[in-house]
Amino acid sequence: MSKKTSDKVVRILPQTNNSTWQLQENMTIMLFLLPAFIFLSIFLVYPIFRSAYFSLFNWKGLGPAVDYIGLENFRRLIADQIFLKAVRNGILIVVFSLLIQLPLAMGLALIVGRNIPGRAFFRAIFFMPYVLSEVITAVMWLILYNPNPSRGFLNAIINIIPFLEPQAWLADTSLVLPAIFVVLTWKYIGFHMLLYITGLQNIPREIEEAALIDGVNSHQMVTHITIPLLAGTIKTSVYLSIIGSLQVYALVWIMTRGGPVNASEVMSTYLYRYSFVRFELGYGSAVAIVMLLISLTFSIIYLRLTRKAEYLA
Amino acid sequence: MKKLILVWFMVGILLASGAFTALSAEVQADPVTINWWHIQTETEHRNLWQNLADQYMAENPNVKIEITVLENENFKAKLTTVMQSGEVPDLFQSWGGGTMNDQAEAGLLKDITAYLDKDGWRETFSEGALGVYAYDGKNYGVPRDMGMVGFWYNKELFAQVGIDNPPATWTELLDDIEKLKAAGITPIALGEGDKWPGAFYWEYLAVRIGGEDAFVKAASREGSFTNPAFVEAGEKLLELVAADPFQLGFLGATWADEATLMGNGEAAMDLMGQWAPGSFRENSIDSQGLGDKTGWFKFPMVEGGAGHPNDALGGGNGFVVGKNAPEETVDFLKFISSVESQIAQAEVGLSVPVIKGAEAGLTDPTLILVQQGAADAGYFQLYYDQYLPPATGSVVNDAVQGLFAGTMTPEEAAQMVEDSAAREIK
Amino acid sequence: MSVNDSKRRKRFKKNSPLILKYIILIVAAIFILFPIVMIIFGALKTRGEFMTIPYIPPIPPRWGNIKTVLSMPIFWYMLRNSVLVMIATTAGVVITASLSAFVFSRIKFRGQNLLFNFFTLGLMFPITVAILPIYLVIRQLGLTNNLIGVILVQIAFQLSISIVILRNFFMAVPFELQDAASIDGCSTLGFFWCILLPLARPSLAAVAALTVVTSWNDLLVPLVLIDKEKLWTLPLGTMQFQGQYGMDLSLVAAFLLLSAIPALIFYLLAERQLVSGLTAGALKG
Repeated sequence: MSKKTSDKVVRILPQTNNSTWQLQENMTIMLFLLPAFIFLSIFLVYPIFRSAYFSLFNWKGLGPAVDYIGLENFRRLIADQIFLKAVRNGILIVVFSLLIQLPLAMGLALIVGRNIPGRAFFRAIFFMPYVLSEVITAVMWLILYNPNPSRGFLNAIINIIPFLEPQAWLADTSLVLPAIFVVLTWKYIGFHMLLYITGLQNIPREIEEAALIDGVNSHQMVTHITIPLLAGTIKTSVYLSIIGSLQVYALVWIMTRGGPVNASEVMSTYLYRYSFVRFELGYGSAVAIVMLLISLTFSIIYLRLTRKAEYLA
Repeated sequence: MKKLILVWFMVGILLASGAFTALSAEVQADPVTINWWHIQTETEHRNLWQNLADQYMAENPNVKIEITVLENENFKAKLTTVMQSGEVPDLFQSWGGGTMNDQAEAGLLKDITAYLDKDGWRETFSEGALGVYAYDGKNYGVPRDMGMVGFWYNKELFAQVGIDNPPATWTELLDDIEKLKAAGITPIALGEGDKWPGAFYWEYLAVRIGGEDAFVKAASREGSFTNPAFVEAGEKLLELVAADPFQLGFLGATWADEATLMGNGEAAMDLMGQWAPGSFRENSIDSQGLGDKTGWFKFPMVEGGAGHPNDALGGGNGFVVGKNAPEETVDFLKFISSVESQIAQAEVGLSVPVIKGAEAGLTDPTLILVQQGAADAGYFQLYYDQYLPPATGSVVNDAVQGLFAGTMTPEEAAQMVEDSAAREIK
Repeated sequence: MSVNDSKRRKRFKKNSPLILKYIILIVAAIFILFPIVMIIFGALKTRGEFMTIPYIPPIPPRWGNIKTVLSMPIFWYMLRNSVLVMIATTAGVVITASLSAFVFSRIKFRGQNLLFNFFTLGLMFPITVAILPIYLVIRQLGLTNNLIGVILVQIAFQLSISIVILRNFFMAVPFELQDAASIDGCSTLGFFWCILLPLARPSLAAVAALTVVTSWNDLLVPLVLIDKEKLWTLPLGTMQFQGQYGMDLSLVAAFLLLSAIPALIFYLLAERQLVSGLTAGALKG
């Protein structure tokens, strides 16, 4: 694939070999970068350091932080069953997304991506949930999942079907995570489908035609040609899906608050509860730091791996 | 073309909403502003507060009262965030107890002891109720309501299955539950998703089984929450859960769900505080609630328990004053704590009066029962999650939810509370 | 991972006749549309009807709930606030990100890679992690309960993805153009403003569309930074509304519907820009 930066070095001022020119160029670069730099420093980087600082204290949030306890928060965190459950749930969501959501999206893309009449219409429909906020989505599904058959649509319909029992979708510890996963799928499948459609459109027709001439059937076409050529798109889709799954918050919080009994707890609800419900801000900061480390580690490893794969391919 | 439409569309929304808000904007730039946060989202109650505020503003044109109404859980969340910055509201809802004590310790509340001592304002309040809003000898707020938790029940449904008298013992309660279930009626409504409604059960069982002694010792750290009384409370709770008396999905239901069930006559019993009838009305389809089908009985006695059948679990509501509040805030507080105001509150079922002379406003027969019950109690226990430090109170609620969900044993639940208490109560 | 993918894909991609494809599409479309349609139904019923016959189309439609929501001043405040924040954030992001993307796409300088990694840090970073200290920073700046605080934070978190998207687009502008411009004596700023930006307009639109959606739907930042009811944005208000009126399901549905309409209209008008922005950013990112 193409290299990251252009070979051609562009000078912004007519090239002369003196230092004032160099200085001017540097100044211009800095000015252009300054606004973004300020934003990112104040609101991204500085908060990380603040979090790291507070994570070393036992702080109730009222008044200044004075009770220094070192790494105690982290020790407590790693030993907390609920946090471990949150991490586990996060991983489950990631895995389910990869195994179910993405293949389904790919399938839809393959169908819709071709010159099928009405594809613009279907594309528009599938992508719609993405533009609705997580809040609207969550409240919508809260109504659908209401356990009372005379109020919740889902159970109302199930009630009619003879051998199915209405369930407490969001209140049953074993059903709640799948129920939330359905909502996540509903919201994001269109997005991933779109990615794949675009990727598909970038596959040159000639390759497919050449393969057809060589006599491949459609199954072989998909496995040996389409998918490998979609590798870049798949890589991105997977990355976004994992990062997105790790940080889902509003959806879970509004539907279940992480309950019942932490059955649907994820890292961000855990963080929110300890920071903004339990008043334990030092501990909450520690959770934030751990979340950050997990996200960063994953990102770095993933990018390394995929870069290597690309290189070898 | 599309882009043009888009741009005009956004401009249109902006103009429309700008115009609308301009039309409904209030008079600006008054010298004194009081920020008042309360949790009365029910229409009737909300309007009562607004009317009082309007009245006061009419009489005091230099004062502007800005009301923020938040639902219970949102209020707690919002308050935390705002506490950190030290920008405390001037006047806000409080249940007293450990949470308020923490706030006072951190210097976030205004000491209004002197105001209370003036002109006999202090004497207008029932002493016990006022005491809830005091810490370390100083007063930080005043109560408006004090009541207790008890079983609200639907008399019609009880009569339907032939229950003539409300249960007085735990065994009778379980029997009645069976009868109701057999008739296809949901015996108990419970919004355990919010956690605190279910905590009442465990706390009352502990009150009945362990009496005043067990809790006071545990909370003061002379004893422990692993005291057999608390473990047995858990076991009894499991008995209740095993009887399957709650509605489908109770583990994820909210207090509002609970109130809706009761208000629409879809459940027979509800263990709840004195604000229940108002909520039943608010959440019923016809806005009538249970009306004269409303009944109330005290939490049943547990056979062999060390507690007394009159012991009460409960609490009240009040307002505390923020540290930066303008002087006028206390004056306004006095205004809404007047006898007339209390009578008005009692009439809409907002408050069980704590101001002497306002009892007359209490006309609802069941609320009178509640008030009587509170007065009769020798041992009155403030809800655990308000009495104990917030972190421990939170743990109590979580532990009880674990009992309801079957993910925790009574021993584990008690131990969890004990661990938190050991860590938080010094 | 690709093995699993291909297994699933087999099911869809056998020599399937057209009718099978349509069936799959329609089933999927029903799954997607079902909740939205149900909410529309619910919004147009009375509270009682909702409880007794929830899944039948409302005939006749009852406009009562919709009228109630529209007559609440708070709804209009929320709408106004969301629009203000959205416009300011989008403008801020487009300007700031294009300035930075310009540098990264066309100028080579020492430490470039390191700096670029810094600028894209925001991609690896859920905002939940930073929200608590961000609140403290905003408080320090005295900007709590101020929409400007919300705007600044939203801009900051939207920058990374925007810079990535714009940089990719900018790199596609031929360098010959730039050489020609500098020979003609056009300054950097001039090139940027007069030549590059107009050429890159589709990408700017894409970034703008993305920012609009993200800002409009943002819950966490307003939730933490804003208390005053009058300053609530739409997502925040929706959550509060549900918490308060949660039991009147038809009223909540009406509110949902009304708060979703702007987003849906925007979607219909700007779908192309949204799609191009998302795919560009995602594919190269």
